[in-house]
Amino acid sequence: MHTKVKICGIKTIEEVQTINNYPVSYVGFIFATSKRQVTEEQVKALRGYLRKDIKVVGVFVDEAPQRVNEIIKSCSLDVVQLHGNESVEYCNKMNTKVWKSIRVKDENSLEAIKQYSTEVESFLLDTFSKEERGGTGKAFNWNIVRGLSKTYNIVLAGGLTPENIVEAIEIVRPQVIDMNSGLETNLMKDNEKVRKLFFKLKEEKMNRKFGQFGGQYVPETLMYPLQELEEAYEACMKDPSFIEEYMYYMKDYVGRESPLYYAKRFTEKLGGAKIYLKREDLNHTGAHKINNVIGQVLLAKRMGKKKVIAETGAGQHGVATATGAALFDMECTVFMGEEDVARQQLNVFRMELLGAKVETVVSGTKTLKDATNEAIREWVRCVEDTFYVIGSVVGPHPYPTMVRDFQRIIGDETKRQILDKEGRLPDTIIACVGGGSNAMGIFYPFVEDTEVELIGVEAAGLGIETGKHAVVLAEGSDGTLGVLHGMKTKLLTDSDGNIIPAHSISAGLDYPGIGPEHAYLENIKRAKYVSITDQEALDGFEMLTKVEGIIPALESSHAIAYAMKLAPKMPKDHIIVINVSGRGDKDTHTVMDYFRQGKQGLEKLNK
Amino acid sequence: MNRIDKKFIELKEKNKKAFIGFITAGDPTLAKTSDLVHALEEAGTDIIELGIPYSDPLADGPVIQMANQRAFKNADLSVSSIMDMVRAIRKSTEIPLLYLVYINTIIVYGKERFIKDCTEVGIDGLIIPDMPFEEREELMELISETDLALIPLVAPTSMDRIAKITEGCKGFVYCVSSLGVTGRSSEFHEDIKDYLKDVKSKTNLPIAVGFGISNKKDIDVLSDLVDGVIVGSAIVQIVSEGDGDVEIVKKFVRDLTN
Repeated sequence: MHTKVKICGIKTIEEVQTINNYPVSYVGFIFATSKRQVTEEQVKALRGYLRKDIKVVGVFVDEAPQRVNEIIKSCSLDVVQLHGNESVEYCNKMNTKVWKSIRVKDENSLEAIKQYSTEVESFLLDTFSKEERGGTGKAFNWNIVRGLSKTYNIVLAGGLTPENIVEAIEIVRPQVIDMNSGLETNLMKDNEKVRKLFFKLKEEKMNRKFGQFGGQYVPETLMYPLQELEEAYEACMKDPSFIEEYMYYMKDYVGRESPLYYAKRFTEKLGGAKIYLKREDLNHTGAHKINNVIGQVLLAKRMGKKKVIAETGAGQHGVATATGAALFDMECTVFMGEEDVARQQLNVFRMELLGAKVETVVSGTKTLKDATNEAIREWVRCVEDTFYVIGSVVGPHPYPTMVRDFQRIIGDETKRQILDKEGRLPDTIIACVGGGSNAMGIFYPFVEDTEVELIGVEAAGLGIETGKHAVVLAEGSDGTLGVLHGMKTKLLTDSDGNIIPAHSISAGLDYPGIGPEHAYLENIKRAKYVSITDQEALDGFEMLTKVEGIIPALESSHAIAYAMKLAPKMPKDHIIVINVSGRGDKDTHTVMDYFRQGKQGLEKLNK
Repeated sequence: MNRIDKKFIELKEKNKKAFIGFITAGDPTLAKTSDLVHALEEAGTDIIELGIPYSDPLADGPVIQMANQRAFKNADLSVSSIMDMVRAIRKSTEIPLLYLVYINTIIVYGKERFIKDCTEVGIDGLIIPDMPFEEREELMELISETDLALIPLVAPTSMDRIAKITEGCKGFVYCVSSLGVTGRSSEFHEDIKDYLKDVKSKTNLPIAVGFGISNKKDIDVLSDLVDGVIVGSAIVQIVSEGDGDVEIVKKFVRDLTN
């Protein structure tokens, strides 16, 4: 069961705007005398700012029924919540759904429920207090009402906070939780507390959406397999033997943990913040992609699938999937756009060597976006025996969550390592973002540590103003809310929704969308997104290579280039961690002419 | 009453099955599409689906993908110009018209605006192949205030989802015949008969079957079990081969409807 969230006692536009960013189902306006009382006129105005799918609840205490019905009409209330001594007949007169409050002191408090049960939609359980009707801010003994939600719709209220919510839900299993003072600072709903609430709720049950982003926009044929996948995945994540097996391969096959390296010369060169590099480039196959592939292929094996399919842009995820398939003896087909096949012959050969079949995609723009479409089409056709290994935190639920969870090992290690080396958390974490799996992996374990600044770096290609870029979230872009590859997120589209091809020197960032959780983190202002051009990325590529003897992937070079802008402005005790998501050997061929010809011909590198 | 509902009642009285034809708007041009709508009607088509071209048609096979690409070659092609074309067609025909449209087109065009325009120009229903039951609420709210039918899609993998998918819907139920995308040859799911009977038992709406139906034989095999059949890629293929020649298309469809 999925518990819905009501946030009560809203008074201002600012609070409405905060709420709009979260998967809230109901808001409550208090018409009765209260610190949070609002007028009919105020509610009419506030309603205009409220997200349309959020239902509106009016809270009353022994108001005249005609008056309540007037307000139901004028404010288009979806529900009235009655907190006084309103009788059964009174409830019957209401022209909309009724939630009747019951103040819980002991078992006897629940006797009244039965007589109301035919007239009201739900019962709101609140803490008993002699002085006040509702709004006490104190919790009652939830064990008294355990099991009640099997018979009646229960709205649980009274002293709920982000800290006690998981326990409350576990005991009461309410249909709705009603939050008020537990989300406030100085009588105003506080974005940080609301964020924390939804973070806690997400821990309790996997969310299909991240705020308004994510979801499952796929053909009906895939809905059952996605549900099957979600169930299998949840079961595996709770199974210690699965985690153990995953960790075994992470250590002995991938070579984890990857070092957190203090880049002394790079730090000195920039003359500001202290810079650490998370060395995902040292993983087997040369990038972070393998973490996720091993997780998904292990899952596929447990689900009894015989074949895996994958999409790939430049071929890194394709090579990683072919590697995983070779390791676990599975049949593997990789979909790759015709243009990419031509540009990345070496990776095509690698995949073939590993025993995979490379399917050349000729539809649409013949690049990653279309390879993904084709992989999804193929999955629809052979879903019964095939597992689709998605390479980033994109696609329909549960993929964005699952891929994040298989990549969070990057952030978990980083946290441990930095505490070990510095005795504290970093000030800033920087990672490049295409779909966003390496960034999500290193960000996620730090999301709750709000003192850590999270920065995602998108690819600005030849410059946002040229239109040849891959920026959907960072400043200056015009990312549109829409649907691609089964998820709702920010995208590059024309005014009719057709996807505009992205451009970047690095194939891994060359994606016209972004993982839905990134769109969410940006929306709630927990992470910041910036952009770096091809030229800046090449400068970063060169600098790290020359100063540290580490050739980073062009993707990771975007994160490095942003650190080069930021670090000099920061004091020496400011700690920055850069996720070096992959090594650059794969790119040397691409950039060779550019460097040999005296850094000329950048445009040629870009398609 | 919605034109789709009216059509199914009319057909039922005559004890006939609906023949539902699909073409891509703007393939090869919008003017030709308009001619083709009339041609399809004259050749015995009962309901017409117009595909709105989209850059990333996830549920479509190569035939319809290519049709989209051809349509995009017309500089004047846009959702607005398709709406205008429908408005013009509506002056001379009462045939039920549906859009086959991907959800991203609707979201970016503007949900309210799209629904409003559809009702104004005379569209009767929407088929949205990438909007399953779980995601349809936000659109359903807008549609329920209109006469538009949101056509629910069910697939052989839907099983216990069928009842909730079809509940509260209008028009007809679109039964996807087999796993895969549109236009694949007719290797129907082995249990197709049981599947169609199952759908029929779970809804009061008429049911129509589509995906991979390309000839008279396919239609004859399936039509006893359903209230309508949908032919898409096969018509689009003929449109492409004849570069939009209406007589060739008419003949092809007449052979299927007779």
